[in-house]
Amino acid sequence: MPEPVLSARGLTKAFASPAGPLAVLQGVSLAVLPGESVSIRGSSGSGKTTLLQILGGLDLPDSGEVTVLAPGLGAVRPRAALGRGVGFVFQNYQLMPELTALENVALAARIAGVSVAEAQARAHELLGQVGLAARTDHLPAKLSGGECQRVALARALVNRPPVLLADEPTGNLDERTAEEVMALMLGVVGSLGTALVLVTHSREFAERASRRFVLSGGVLSPA
Amino acid sequence: MPWFLHLALRQLFPPGRRFPAFATVSILGVALGVASLLVVQTVMNGFGEEHRLRIRESFGDCVVTAAAPVERPAELARALRADPAVRSAAPYAEGPALLRNGDFSAVGGVRGVDPLDPDQPARRYVAFGSFDDLDDGRVVLGAGLARALRVRIGDRVELWSPAMAERAEKGRAPLPVQLEVCAVILTGFTEVDDRAALIPLRRFNDLWALGGRAHGLTLRLKDPADAEAVAARLSAGRPGLSFIPWQHVKRNFLEAIRFEKTMLFFLMFIITLVASFSIGSTLFSAVIRRTREVGVLAALGAGRAELVLLFGLQGLVIGLIGTLAGFGLTWTILTFRDGILGEVNRLFGDGDMMAKVYQFSRVPLHYDASDFVVAAFFTLLTTAAAGLVPALWAAGRKPSEAMRDA
Ligand SMILES: Nc1ncnc2c1ncn2[C@@H]1O[C@H](COP(=O)(O)OP(=O)(O)OP(=O)(O)O)[C@@H](O)[C@H]1O
Ligand SMILES: [Mg+2]
Repeated sequence: MPEPVLSARGLTKAFASPAGPLAVLQGVSLAVLPGESVSIRGSSGSGKTTLLQILGGLDLPDSGEVTVLAPGLGAVRPRAALGRGVGFVFQNYQLMPELTALENVALAARIAGVSVAEAQARAHELLGQVGLAARTDHLPAKLSGGECQRVALARALVNRPPVLLADEPTGNLDERTAEEVMALMLGVVGSLGTALVLVTHSREFAERASRRFVLSGGVLSPA
Repeated sequence: MPWFLHLALRQLFPPGRRFPAFATVSILGVALGVASLLVVQTVMNGFGEEHRLRIRESFGDCVVTAAAPVERPAELARALRADPAVRSAAPYAEGPALLRNGDFSAVGGVRGVDPLDPDQPARRYVAFGSFDDLDDGRVVLGAGLARALRVRIGDRVELWSPAMAERAEKGRAPLPVQLEVCAVILTGFTEVDDRAALIPLRRFNDLWALGGRAHGLTLRLKDPADAEAVAARLSAGRPGLSFIPWQHVKRNFLEAIRFEKTMLFFLMFIITLVASFSIGSTLFSAVIRRTREVGVLAALGAGRAELVLLFGLQGLVIGLIGTLAGFGLTWTILTFRDGILGEVNRLFGDGDMMAKVYQFSRVPLHYDASDFVVAAFFTLLTTAAAGLVPALWAAGRKPSEAMRDA
């Protein structure tokens, strides 16, 4: 069996709230194998976003640990490999409004230390893969929601992370566009061999993952 | 170009918008602060320089005095003139005298000078009459003194010197000498204009019973800025004579001007400070507006230092452009100062205040590079700090929480 690209063991996380501590995660474990896709569903407030942020290193768990297999770094804590260990796609795209599509994608590579020329070349290539070769010089405000999410997808993958974490990537899109973006995302991660952790409310999209989980009561259980 | 500088410039000057409001207003604020600072400094320098020049011209670049009157002053003058740093040396004598024209009288500071000295600075300040007409029967008066005595060119004044009282016959009032006013000088230096009465040195020696002696010498130097060093050098080997460089003649006055300039620097700097504060607060709200973007950048792997630089640089860029614009504005204001002042005078009906109070035909200027360096340094420091505070705040947020902020 291949080594998992992302593994989490015994994650717990609680937030302080006026009504006492709110235990959001209560022992979550997960191992993501190279190239596989995992879906996570759960009611609103069940802690899906919290879990993804901990998996990606944006937040730290109260206990338990996460390791990610980052290219060139080996197995490390995700916080040490931000931008390279995992790629993020968010519900509301989160593009830099002052940068063009191309610059948004290249920015991720530049932050990771790639040269300007190389970053632009990679950004061109990835925008081509998500079907936006003709939109490279557009600002986000001049792009549709679906196009923005495709730029965000290209940005998340520009550093070739082994795992893509997607938090309700189609949540802001109409049904048809959502379907297009989802198909594109699955296609691109498939062709790049990137593993996918997909948080979604849609039962239909969740079904397309090779493994399916539900987050409920602070624990992750197979659906 | 590092990514954060690229992004900083894009955020300051968003593409596709012709009028980057935040950047424009902030830059204008800094530019106005810098310009007001430098305009005031440069004009203050101008007044200072003008005063220095007048001090030098009234007293010479270096004054030579002694405890007792100088014997054989012509000989000493010749010896001093031989020094390579000295351009000219002229003996002088001075003393108060009572001047009268009918019912008007005043005390004048009478100075015996060489009427043939082409370097005699009073020549440059002749407002009426002619300095060349000065002879044993004539006198050159300061404008204020002439006004006090109500005399014009060609009028006569009576003069009593202290020595005349001694010479008078017992029990009889001393008889004054009659002098015809041949020129009126206007230096703009009140102390000179209200008191000066110039007569030939020979005549002075006669009226003051000084014989062939003089009270001292005035030296003009090839490089007046060197006066302190030259004075020190000349005084070596000449005991009994003191050489006073012009910088020390009116030391308190010059110190006062310098102090005034420093005070004004701090007062004007407050304007720049205010501009920096408004940059700080605008940048702060911009950073808060961008909290989520900060979270995204952190998720993309941006380090804390890079995030600090992203926003800190925006303050610095505004400071830099604002400073340069301020330099340009300073130059523009100062170049067109006469027109501007004329408009102001016309608006407020102040008349030609410059000419009345300062006797300057135009506002004097003196550009000093160090003022520009100091203004730029402090402005960049405060604008960078104004950007740094919100930058540190933004970079200190946890990315997970930053991204939850709507
Ligand atoms: N920083 C925080 N401080 C306090 N409570 C928090 C914080 N972050 C999350 N929570 C709480 O933790 C719980 C889980 O939040 P989370 O965003 O992970 O849910 P979610 O499953 O992503 O919900 P949704 O489907 O609506 O996006 C919520 O009740 C939320 O209010
Ligand atoms: Mg969520």
